[in-house]
Amino acid sequence: MDDLKDVAKEVLSSTLPIVVMVVLCQFIFFENPGNMVIQFIIGAIMVTLGLGLFLIGVKIGLLPLGEAIGAELPQRGSVIILLLAMLFIGIAVTVAEPQVNILANQFEYVSGGSIPKYLLISFVAAGIGLFFTIATARVLLNIPMKHILTAGYLLVFILAAFVPPSFLPISFDAGGVTTGPLTVPFIIALGVGLTSVLGGKSSMSDSFGFLALVLIGPILAVMLLGVIYG
Amino acid sequence: MNNIVVFEGFSNVLLEVAISLLPLIIIFLLFQFLLLKLPLEEIKRLVIGMCLSFAGLSLFLQGVQIGFLPAGTSLGEQLGKLDYNWVVILIGFLLGLVTVIAEPLVRVLNYEVEKVSAGHISQRLMMYTLAIGVSIAVAVAMARIIYGIPLLYILAPGYLLALILIRYTSPTFVPVAFDSGTVVTGPMTATFILALAVGVASGTAGRDPLLDGFGLVAIVALAPVLSVLLLGFIYGERGVEDEDR
Repeated sequence: MDDLKDVAKEVLSSTLPIVVMVVLCQFIFFENPGNMVIQFIIGAIMVTLGLGLFLIGVKIGLLPLGEAIGAELPQRGSVIILLLAMLFIGIAVTVAEPQVNILANQFEYVSGGSIPKYLLISFVAAGIGLFFTIATARVLLNIPMKHILTAGYLLVFILAAFVPPSFLPISFDAGGVTTGPLTVPFIIALGVGLTSVLGGKSSMSDSFGFLALVLIGPILAVMLLGVIYG
Repeated sequence: MNNIVVFEGFSNVLLEVAISLLPLIIIFLLFQFLLLKLPLEEIKRLVIGMCLSFAGLSLFLQGVQIGFLPAGTSLGEQLGKLDYNWVVILIGFLLGLVTVIAEPLVRVLNYEVEKVSAGHISQRLMMYTLAIGVSIAVAVAMARIIYGIPLLYILAPGYLLALILIRYTSPTFVPVAFDSGTVVTGPMTATFILALAVGVASGTAGRDPLLDGFGLVAIVALAPVLSVLLLGFIYGERGVEDEDR
């Protein structure tokens, strides 16, 4: 029961500030905010309850699952199986995000229909898979994150110079849409689990970074499409 | 806004959350039968956990949709019309601060960071760092809309600074810094702050709400990268954690 009390405290302390702030603003800037405030409060109650359930669920479901899979994979002895499995997981959890489909539709629009939807989705998937595998290999080979990030972002900005301007905003958006609220905890935990077994000298610098690299993959993929077709 | 809505469009939200949960279920089943072979007791816990995250996230997103989205839009429009519209920058700062605190994935990342660092980097410290970063970012984003600053003038120096900072900060913090860019742009920020920005842009004369509203997420994602790298710089100086990687 103490756990439940802790969660309730945590959730209230996280939503109360924004609720107070918004209601305050509504009273200051509107003359007659009555209905507006009620509508907002109803939403806020749902958000608070939802956040509580979500956090409990993540802690007993998604985090342990990710950590268990991450810790199990390296023990199968084969580096190739590990990398292939990570490639599969990376693509599977991100491409199903509903927002990826929305992005693909926007992209069809920006490109005037010259680039079919499936092509964009396969490029994004390849980008994610590649960088998920790089993220795993990085831990295996003990490569510092800063080298990979520097190379990745330099590549992004070099490509940006060649991409038609209309493709630019959508490329940067592509990084964000592939990771939703359910996949993020799973990916974080996967890295933590993997490193708990493979772990180099510092578990802190190895456990994280998967999300960061999953962000770069799709940006590069979409820019590449823009360069090829633009 | 005369009629109060509660469950309008809820089935869409449920469907979207279900679709993004599906691959996780498939991976769970696949690994359970091929590799993990967890005992029944643990499976029960995992399944309950997944059900709770499904229900919780759906409820959360619906609440954001019916409560925070319209509140953000109407507030933004009202603020954009003010004569003294620099107030928007100040309010953006304050709203940025309270929004990160309510962002669900921020809690999850901070929780894992505290656990992995064995308490060295507490959830509270992470939260302060992220909150400062994001609130400055939202203020900058609002200033961009009011004064019409091009997005690239903010992003290019920002990323350049990040690439310089990673040379001097403690390597321990680099992966976390870049990961945190993803978690702060979760469902709360991407809806509420975005709606606010689009509202301000449509209330401000001479701004295109579509064009000026976008780019906000990119600015917000950059902010915690810089603030966590700075935290690592301060920590690294003190030599609290491994430096020689």
